[in-house]
Amino acid sequence: MATRDSLIQVTDLKKHYNRGAIKALDGVTVDINRGDVMVVIGPSGSGKSTFLRSLNLLEDPTSGSIVFDGVDITKRKYKDSQGKMVKVNIDQHRQKMGMVFQHFNLFPHMTILDNMTLAPIKVKGQDRAAAEEKALALLDRVGLKDRAGAYPIQLSGGQKQRVAIVRALAMEPEVMLFDEPTSALDPEMVGEVLDVMKGLAREGMTMVVVTHEMGFAREVGNRVLFMADGLLLEEGTPQAIFETPQHPRLKDFLSKVL
Amino acid sequence: MFIQMKNFSVVASYAQMFQEGLVVTILLSLFTVVFGFVLALALVLMRMSSFRPFLWLAHVSPGVFGFFERDGSGMKRDSGFVYHLGRFNPLSFLATAYVEILRSTPVLVQIMIIYFGVFQFIDLPSFKLFGFIRFNRFFPGVVALGMNSGAYLCEIIRSGVQSIDGGQSEAARSLGLRQSQNFQYIILPQALKNILPAIANEFVVIIKESAITYTIGVQDIMAAVQAVKGATSIIMEPLLVATALYFCLCFPTSKIIAYFERRMSRGDKR
Repeated sequence: MATRDSLIQVTDLKKHYNRGAIKALDGVTVDINRGDVMVVIGPSGSGKSTFLRSLNLLEDPTSGSIVFDGVDITKRKYKDSQGKMVKVNIDQHRQKMGMVFQHFNLFPHMTILDNMTLAPIKVKGQDRAAAEEKALALLDRVGLKDRAGAYPIQLSGGQKQRVAIVRALAMEPEVMLFDEPTSALDPEMVGEVLDVMKGLAREGMTMVVVTHEMGFAREVGNRVLFMADGLLLEEGTPQAIFETPQHPRLKDFLSKVL
Repeated sequence: MFIQMKNFSVVASYAQMFQEGLVVTILLSLFTVVFGFVLALALVLMRMSSFRPFLWLAHVSPGVFGFFERDGSGMKRDSGFVYHLGRFNPLSFLATAYVEILRSTPVLVQIMIIYFGVFQFIDLPSFKLFGFIRFNRFFPGVVALGMNSGAYLCEIIRSGVQSIDGGQSEAARSLGLRQSQNFQYIILPQALKNILPAIANEFVVIIKESAITYTIGVQDIMAAVQAVKGATSIIMEPLLVATALYFCLCFPTSKIIAYFERRMSRGDKR
C-alpha cells in the first residue's frame, strides 16, 4: 500500500464532548490512499460514524488534523504552493468528498433530476443542459432514468439510496464517504444498493464505508478498520481481520455479528 | 328593541366612510404583511447567522492566547468564559432582544410610541393617497403594525426552519453548497411550505389587529364606527356593520390560503 499515493491523512483525530467526559473519537490516525475501499466496522457507539463525518467536517474535531489533497482542513488557513497564507474554504473541499447518508437525505421538494443537478449548477456553475445530461446518464447507470421526474417520496428506500449515491457522484468527487448506507433499508433492498457500491469500487473510486454488512467488507474492501470506544483497535486486509483477528474486542465483535 | 332597523339607515348615510375604511384596512394589512415579512426574514437571518466577532479568541495560535484556547490537555475548550465569548453573536442577540421585547408588550403601546414618539421627530408629507388616505397617519400605522408582526413572523419562520431535518443541511453542505445557498434552495422552500398555515393565520391576525390604528387617526373601518357614534350616538349598528366587513375580509383570506396550501403539498403525496 505504500506504493499508492495518499489522499487523506488523518492524524490523532479527537472529538470530545462535555469537557472530555464523552470521547467519541480518542486519537485516530490513518492514511487513506487513492483507490482504497476502506471499510470501517465496530459496535454501535464506537465512533465510526463520528470518524466518517469528521472527514468532511460535518463534525468539528476537538483536536488532530485531517490533510486532504495536501491541505489541513481542520485549520482556518494554510500555505499554498506559492507560500501565501490562504483561508481554508471547506465548501470547496466538500465538493470533492461525496457523502451518502443512512437516511438518504434527498431534498423532498425537488424532483430526482433537480436533486442531482442543483449542486453541479449552483456550486460548479455548469449550465443546466449539461448538468441534466450528466445526471440522466448517471441515473441510467443505476437503472432509474425513467424516474427522473419523480419526487423522492415516490421512490422505494433502495431507489432513494441509489439516487443519493449518483447525486454525490454528479459532483465528480475524489472520494465517496458512506455512512451506514444500507442500515435504513428493508432487507430485500440492501442488495441493489451494495451492487452500485461494488460497481463503484471496481472502477477504482476511493471509498470509505461505515457499514454492518460484513459480507461487503470481506468481498469489496481492501482494508478493514475495526473501531471501538473511539479508538482504532485493529486494521488489516479483510482476510486478516475476519480470519485471524488479534484484538479480543474484535474477536468478541465478530463472534456476535458473524 | 336594542338594535333597530332605522338606525341601519342612519349608518347607511355613512356608507362612503365605511367604504374608504375598508380600502384603508385592506391596504394597511397588505403593506404591513410585506413590511413584516421582510423584517422577519432579516431577523431570522440575524438570529441564525454565524457572525461571531470574538471567535478569534478561541482560534489564535497556541502560545499567544493558547492558555485561553486550549485546556491543560491540549483540547479545544468547550466551556468557560472565553469559549462563551467566542460563541457570542451580537446580531443574534439584537434580533432576539427585539423579538422578545415586541412580543412582551401590548401592540397599543407600541403604536403609541411609534406615532407620538418616533414620528414626532420625522416630518411626513401630509398628502392623501387616492384622495382619502392620510399618509402621515397611515405610514406610522404600517410601521408600527409591521414591526410588531415582524417579531411574530420571525418566530414562525424560525420554527419552520428548525422543523427541517438536520440531514437536509448536511446533505446540502456535503455537496458543497454554501450556507446561504443551503438556506435559499433547501431550507427556506421547505420551511415556508410547513409554516404556510401559521403565516396565513398571522395575516388574518394583522387584518383584525389593524383596527387598533384608529387610535392614531388612521381612517379605517373602526374609525368609521367612531365617526357614526360621535355624530349620532348610535353604536351597536355600526359595530355590526364593522363585524360583517371584518368577517368578509378574514374568512375568505384563510380559505384562499388553505387552497394554496393544498396545492403546494402535492409533491409530498403519491
